[in-house]
Amino acid sequence: MNAWKRGFITLACMCALNACSKKPDIQFAPHAQDYASKTDFAEVEHVFPLSPKQRDTLTPENLARFSQEELDQIYARLTAGPIPNGEFAGTFFFADGGGVKRISEVLGGLKGIAVDIKLKKMERLGEALWKGKVFYKDQKILRNMIRDRDFLKLIIDGDPDTLPKTKINGVDAWLLFPAKLYCGQSLLDARRESVIIDYAFTDDIEGYRERPDFLAGRRGLQVRDEIRMIRPGFYLGRAYMGRVFVLNFTLYNPSIADRDRSSFLQAGKVQEECWSGTQQTTTASAK
Amino acid sequence: MVRSLLIRSFLFCFIFCFNVNAFAASPAPSPYTDAGYYAMESGLTPSERAGREIWFKASAGNDRFHTYVFQQRVGVLIDWYRVLNSGARDQRFATWGLINDPGCCTPGSKNCPAKSSEETFGFDWCPGDEELLKFVGKRGYRDPACDFKDAPVDANDAHGPTDKRQSSCDLAFGTSTGALGLRKFPNPKFDAASWQKLNGKLGSWEGFNRRVSSNEALSDSQVSRLADSSVEPPFLIGMACGACHIAFDPLRPPKDPAHPQWENIRGAIGNQYLRMSEIMVSGMSKNSLEWQTFAHARPGTTDTSAVPNDQVSNAGTINALVNVRQRPMFTDEVVNKWRAVATCKVDKDCWCEKEGKCWLKSTQKEAVHHILKDGSDSIGAREALQRVYINIGSCSEQCWVNHLTDLRQLDPEQRNFGQTPFNIGQCRRDCPNFRAIEDRLGDVFNFLLSREAQATDLYRARGLKNVAELNAQLDKEFGKGKVARGQAVYAENCARCHSSQAAPFQGRDFLQVSADSGLRSDWLGNDQAVAASEIGTSPCRALHSNHMAGHVWQEYASETYRTRPADANLMDRNGGGRGYYRNVSLVNVWAHAPFMHNNSVGPEICGQQDSKNQFYRSPYLDDQGKPLKDAPACMAYDPSVPGRYKLYKASMMDLLNPKSRIPKVTRLDEPIRLDVGPRYWDGERESKLANFMLEIPAGVDAGMLGSLQHKELFRDLVLSKTDSAKLKARLTERVGAKAADEAAAMISEMADEVLRNPKQIISVAGKRLSTLIALYSSCREQVENAGHPFGENLSPEDKQALIAFMATL
Repeated sequence: MNAWKRGFITLACMCALNACSKKPDIQFAPHAQDYASKTDFAEVEHVFPLSPKQRDTLTPENLARFSQEELDQIYARLTAGPIPNGEFAGTFFFADGGGVKRISEVLGGLKGIAVDIKLKKMERLGEALWKGKVFYKDQKILRNMIRDRDFLKLIIDGDPDTLPKTKINGVDAWLLFPAKLYCGQSLLDARRESVIIDYAFTDDIEGYRERPDFLAGRRGLQVRDEIRMIRPGFYLGRAYMGRVFVLNFTLYNPSIADRDRSSFLQAGKVQEECWSGTQQTTTASAK
Repeated sequence: MVRSLLIRSFLFCFIFCFNVNAFAASPAPSPYTDAGYYAMESGLTPSERAGREIWFKASAGNDRFHTYVFQQRVGVLIDWYRVLNSGARDQRFATWGLINDPGCCTPGSKNCPAKSSEETFGFDWCPGDEELLKFVGKRGYRDPACDFKDAPVDANDAHGPTDKRQSSCDLAFGTSTGALGLRKFPNPKFDAASWQKLNGKLGSWEGFNRRVSSNEALSDSQVSRLADSSVEPPFLIGMACGACHIAFDPLRPPKDPAHPQWENIRGAIGNQYLRMSEIMVSGMSKNSLEWQTFAHARPGTTDTSAVPNDQVSNAGTINALVNVRQRPMFTDEVVNKWRAVATCKVDKDCWCEKEGKCWLKSTQKEAVHHILKDGSDSIGAREALQRVYINIGSCSEQCWVNHLTDLRQLDPEQRNFGQTPFNIGQCRRDCPNFRAIEDRLGDVFNFLLSREAQATDLYRARGLKNVAELNAQLDKEFGKGKVARGQAVYAENCARCHSSQAAPFQGRDFLQVSADSGLRSDWLGNDQAVAASEIGTSPCRALHSNHMAGHVWQEYASETYRTRPADANLMDRNGGGRGYYRNVSLVNVWAHAPFMHNNSVGPEICGQQDSKNQFYRSPYLDDQGKPLKDAPACMAYDPSVPGRYKLYKASMMDLLNPKSRIPKVTRLDEPIRLDVGPRYWDGERESKLANFMLEIPAGVDAGMLGSLQHKELFRDLVLSKTDSAKLKARLTERVGAKAADEAAAMISEMADEVLRNPKQIISVAGKRLSTLIALYSSCREQVENAGHPFGENLSPEDKQALIAFMATL
């Protein structure tokens, strides 16, 4: 049995035990709606450090049950971890109180300027198209995995079959939208770096195709993602457009998750490749 | 035989080796060393010496702020090569007001240890670079601060007597960039091959800072690779206190400002030529919002609340720190702060870093200085120094940036919509650089009490024996007895604010020397807070709001500060501490013109203007409020004694004749172009299907734009369509119930128009400008050089007498 299958089976078992859909038992600093009511992340981490055990209860599915502020407090308690390498399955979601969902609420009354955002439809469409990311750590780049051939025809010049491809569960996925990969500033929590996935200057990446890669870049939607590691093989990400937060996503590589789970649970630490800040926490193994 | 051969071999080797060594050592020792810097510390106490070194060199880790945080998180680009490239070393002062480090040299120049800019990545070669340059692109650099010679532990230190200070390595010195106060650090992530590919060679940053396209029709003409954060430059750039405060010594100015020597330099005088605002936005295009709204502060001024933004355009001068020992203190101020204790006897609000090194937070009555233009730094001089380190980026990631306003965040429910208070206790706990500075604040303060911050009297600058000789010269210039008459005029008209002695002032000796300190007794300012409306100068700086409750610097202001009543005569919202200016010191006023908190009273001054660096914007307006034709030219920087004196006299004339002042309002000198909404691909590279360009025209008041509370406006526009009751409640709070209905109707009407045609938002707003300013501006005053009418009614003779006397102060 290969690692991907083992990993997904582990995940499936966790789901069967209700870990996927049940909201994990994680503590959060109290907060109201107003920005000023939200506890500083340094305090959140100091009082409520996340243990490896708690991180282990998080899954791509149950993360979607948290509100945006709760997700922000989880994200702030994570470190960047190692820069990913290889294929990672992706999911994305809109949480209550943030991103596109909140933009929609804020602008809801301004009919005419506000887009009538059909969030569920967007989620379904996105999930059908975007399958995750392939990281090429040595080259400091990544590419996104897109699966829908009909959609591709709309946004590219020429034949989709000329594009680089990979297979996900035996099905073709095209590799598009390259991005640069580096350790950099989080737009949410400055206290330590995140792994940044930057689409701004991708036209010098080998294989860049103006159409459609341009869409994500500096002349397009100005996409910038950042990710931090929940546990080995599993990352929580935040996507921005023009520096405005849009949505959350997760990246999951079952092989890595399966391989490194027990050592992470024991040691509570991972190799850090980005600047991890100077706040001393009782993280992980201590709690 | 064997023995003979050995001896001959030994001799041969000895001679050969000797000669090789002799050859290696043969070039004359480089004159480019730190010897001049260290020579100037002679006579200082160990604590003053330590404080001086921190002031000149310590960045306390803010190199990450000036290389990564400001660019990526705040979104503003600094073009360090444009500012610091060695090829422009001779123009650095004239362009940016930066002072060249006498110990540094341009690679390839005579006796410079570096022969080519390839060795220094385009920067100056500076002492310590023989080691630092080896670590560009590598880990393992040992910061020179690790060898810092600490002063003995102060006998009164609550954490003594053993040394419990944070490692001096965390002071982070690096080496000089060639400009005093700006420090460089080797970037271990630097990749030489990528850099060469981007820039063509190691010694250039031109591929990094060049615009991506030269075709002005394309958006790439506004973009450079400075915005590409995947590029790691060879150096990280840090900033010490000295970057703003180091200046030319008025007593010993350099013959050539581009080539000063150490004896021409003083650490605490304040650089009145510095263009720090332009430096901080040097990587932005000139038609960007950031350039146009921030890069207009006059030389020697900077908006210190630009990064911790309070949406008040309020640049202020870099203070001259002179005779600090004589500066008034205010007793019985209610101060809530952390105080050093040996042990924690309570659990709450007490924290120990280690045994014998604890801090207890409590509220006590205390004697404190009033620091900053409005006196808002008011919990102690040491804490004021500590706060400045944070404000220049130290510990920015661990403790600061998460508390700042993101100007793009328009949703009041999201973090960074507004400020939250910086937490001193958290920063101490989490940031080693904070502790490294905090543990040595006594040394820094002692440096500011040292001879480096003592008065620079005009008589000494002119090489005269005493003030009597100066008086004779001034009487010759202004008329017999003018100095004495000026003293009487000063006592009658100025001393109630600009003296630290008690009234009555007639007959007082303003130059008397204190037997205790050896300094002049009178600080020539009482530091009392006076309502901004009483002074009448532009109130914007007095409306600084960062020290209010709930704002970023809350913990650095006393409770007493926040209880100051609002100034009812100001048209702008104030209170909570806002609305005041303190009466500043006039010690050595001859050397610190132009005047007022924003350097607006007196001639405009400027440095070199070339096609790439056009920084001067003529602010003069005619009677119609239009740019004045044939406006006075700006005066060229001249730090010489006659140059400073000439500027002083011209500025005094402007000060004492307010009705003759030509109004100054700094305006946008280029239209600002803002891309709104995402661009979308339409088959061509540049599409405008889903986005549009907003243009704010040239000529708009730059200060007004910087003080516009755009978030509040946006919030109200939304409320006008979603919750009219809430909108009315908000407007009632601002303008009262009577005017709220009318204002709400106007906002609703504006929202309708914007919805019909978003592209017209500028003209929609322009039609309602005066109402919008009344509702949403933090500071409505546009004229920058009005006010301070005191002395206006003096006779022309008395004005001359006052100018003569004040030159002796």
